[in-house]
Amino acid sequence: MKRIKKWLRIKPGYPKLPEDHSKELENSKLSSNLEYNELKLNGIFHNISDIVFRKVRMAEEDHWLVVYISSLVDEEIIDEHILKPLISNRTQDGLSSNKAEVLDDRFISVGKTVVTSRITDVVSHALNGYAVILTVGNSDALMVKANSTKAQRSLEEPSSEPVIRGPRDGFVENISTNIGLIRRRLKTSRLKTESITLGELTQTQVVLTYIDGIVSESIVEEVRKRVSRIQIDGIIDSGYVEEFIEDSPFTPFPQVHSTERPDVVAAELLEGKVAILVDTSPFVLIVPMTFWNGLQASEDYYVRWPIATFVRWIRFLFIIIAIFAPPLYVAITTFHQEMIPTNLVLSIASSREPVPFPALVEALLMEIIFEALREAGIRLPKQIGQAISIVGALVIGQAAVQAGIISAPVVIIVSITGIAAFTIPRYSFANGIRLLRFPMLFLAGTLGLYGIVLGFVAIVLHVTSLRSFGIPYFTPLSPLTIANLKDVLIRAPIWAKTRRPQATGFNDPVREPSGQKPSPSQGKSSE
Amino acid sequence: MKPLFRIGLLFTVLIATGCWDRTEINDLAFISGAAFDLNEDGKFLLSLQIAIPSSSQAGPGSGGSNRNEKYFVISAVGKNANEAFEKLQKKSSRRLFTAHRSVIFIGESLAKNGVKDILDVYIHDPRQRLKTYIMVVKGGEGREILQIKYPFEQVPIEAVKEMEGLEGELAVTLRDFFIAASSEGINPVMGVIEAEDLSEGLRGNKNKIFSLAGLAVFKELKLVGFLDENETAGFIWLTDRLKQGRLSAELPEGAGTVGMVLNDTKRRITSQISGDRIKIELRLEGQGNISENNSRLDISLPNNLGIARVALEKSVENQVRDTLFKVQAKYKVDSVGFGREIYRNKPKQWKTLKNEWDHTFPDVEVSIEVKLTLGTGMAGAPMQWKEEEIEE
Repeated sequence: MKRIKKWLRIKPGYPKLPEDHSKELENSKLSSNLEYNELKLNGIFHNISDIVFRKVRMAEEDHWLVVYISSLVDEEIIDEHILKPLISNRTQDGLSSNKAEVLDDRFISVGKTVVTSRITDVVSHALNGYAVILTVGNSDALMVKANSTKAQRSLEEPSSEPVIRGPRDGFVENISTNIGLIRRRLKTSRLKTESITLGELTQTQVVLTYIDGIVSESIVEEVRKRVSRIQIDGIIDSGYVEEFIEDSPFTPFPQVHSTERPDVVAAELLEGKVAILVDTSPFVLIVPMTFWNGLQASEDYYVRWPIATFVRWIRFLFIIIAIFAPPLYVAITTFHQEMIPTNLVLSIASSREPVPFPALVEALLMEIIFEALREAGIRLPKQIGQAISIVGALVIGQAAVQAGIISAPVVIIVSITGIAAFTIPRYSFANGIRLLRFPMLFLAGTLGLYGIVLGFVAIVLHVTSLRSFGIPYFTPLSPLTIANLKDVLIRAPIWAKTRRPQATGFNDPVREPSGQKPSPSQGKSSE
Repeated sequence: MKPLFRIGLLFTVLIATGCWDRTEINDLAFISGAAFDLNEDGKFLLSLQIAIPSSSQAGPGSGGSNRNEKYFVISAVGKNANEAFEKLQKKSSRRLFTAHRSVIFIGESLAKNGVKDILDVYIHDPRQRLKTYIMVVKGGEGREILQIKYPFEQVPIEAVKEMEGLEGELAVTLRDFFIAASSEGINPVMGVIEAEDLSEGLRGNKNKIFSLAGLAVFKELKLVGFLDENETAGFIWLTDRLKQGRLSAELPEGAGTVGMVLNDTKRRITSQISGDRIKIELRLEGQGNISENNSRLDISLPNNLGIARVALEKSVENQVRDTLFKVQAKYKVDSVGFGREIYRNKPKQWKTLKNEWDHTFPDVEVSIEVKLTLGTGMAGAPMQWKEEEIEE
């Protein structure tokens, strides 16, 4: 354990990141000497090929200096809204003061501008796609937002959570677009977005969003605390943040719900949860998560409730199959042959007749091959992925059985299990479930049904002891809140879910007035 | 450190001891049926029918050799069941697996000699199922039944199991047999099977087929006689185990026959003891519909239905009388459980009767009252007659 800990660097005293030049610039300010400022910035942006220093000459010796990074900005904004007004007005009177504010007021037709005198601010804004305007004899810099939106993927249907009925837009890699997608669904000033910058080098913007008044303040505080204590060189995806803020790192169950769908985020925010958006990642994190989140698809809420309920039960059934079908097959065929009806045992026995492996090895082999096929199918380019599935189906389904290496029942069981795992709507949750199958297989292969029962007890104990941001993972089933089961065991009609979930929405429990069940007398009574 | 170490320790337990009773399914020989016979030396001959699991689809390696046999039979002699079984195990490359054995057959000669020496093993061994059917082979050896091919099932003895599962016959399991054998005032019975020549049908074969053939009556674990199908039907009703059945009767004055289907039956039994005289009153109630009418009577008329009902009731009474005659007068053994009724309802009197029951049972007076509730069902005026020929 010690070694593993050391290897995982869990021990405190992990050396800090190497200091970079930004540290020494921390407090240094711009001078009123433009040449000095230019030299200074030149030094900072040394060897950066896409930096642009554009001088706009005014009358006589005075000039403006526009600094921007060409790969980050929209050249059109620079040309149309910064350079053009500056050039056309350069001989205008009253520019002697050259104050940044004056420039801002008179010429710059861009919404977001910032005035600063600190060099660090200048650098960080330039790196965020701002154009910096420096003037002679002035120690303030005007920074104009000129981000390019061209390098952005258009809104597409999220590939990890497709729906048949429901909104088709998904998050993209741009955080402001993502916030916009959420705001379009929650048009209230109570939707708060707190920004935190993480990553020494990536300077990634992370935004906590929640609905003020519904969310529990203690959860927000906890999220804020956990997110802001992250120290790392770079945040590449929200997966990085997830691993820093989850409660138990050593479990196959995800405790942070990640989604690509803005409608899911909006719905979860309405239940009093907190969403964490990370710039450059299309996956938004939602906390706290419960076990049942993993089994709920967004579409459940868009189709009529009897259908959604039925589909949920199918999922409950198949999550059990996904974990227990192969272990049960192994346990029963190697330990409890007396449990199988005679005709079935004879047909299993006859299909196993040419197979040289024990049932456990056979099942493990197939499961691993199946996992490999799945992984290959994801990693390979789409065109080749097709080929893989054909080869897999042919080789394993046909040839292995015919050659007598694998018995047909195992192929059937593994296929059913594979399908079962795909019925789980949340990708990260399904991954955890799939992982559990292997220890269960070993238990079944060594201890039989007894082992399966042991494994089941262990899983239940583990799941019920997990917490996500202070909320028990298995709630509302354990601890039991009967009223909230109507969104777990069934999917109650929308008009029947009058209250928010107890665990997260207790601040503002009422969601809608009761008595909205549609009926002929509806409406008459209100008149 | 500690948690991982502990998990490691637990894992060694799993690996070191876990697989001790693991058996692959194709290391087992599934016994489908067993038969006990008596050989010339007075020892037991145990035969087993073992299913051969052969894959239905021919693999690439097995081309040509067409194995049609789905089972084989092995036999061994021993002084008890255990010894014979051990000998059989030595003949089998796979472990003999008894949990799927559905029927045990007992040859007639062994049954007459007494079955007490072979039954004990089935009580104590947890691998033996008490729900196994036990049957006597009428006029033959148990072995012969095991060797008969049966066209329907993969393994012939499965067919016997299915036949026993159908309603109408009295299926006796080991459990029923033991309960009856160890209870007060009742003697056990067993199902009977018989090998018949399959004379017609499948082209010119010397093949045989088995059929269920009533009941075998045991007295002190020895076979004393058989009941035929008719008597068995009476026996089933007499012992209140009838759920569904068929009855037929001849109408008076040679008018024809009627048949009925019984849907629900009830038996009430009361006993009266006055001194030495024991009187049993049986009341048999049944509900059902007319299913066949070969007479000229329009059965849908209440009067005619009454005639049919009386005839059917009479036939039930005769059937039961036949059964009672066999067990009371001929075999003199209380297989029907009158003694048990007295034991249950009049335990005090039973104490005095108990020892003498074998002698008193044949003299028990039985009065039978049959009450059928008949619906006409789909039957009405017979179609095969012209309208004027039908009697009203």
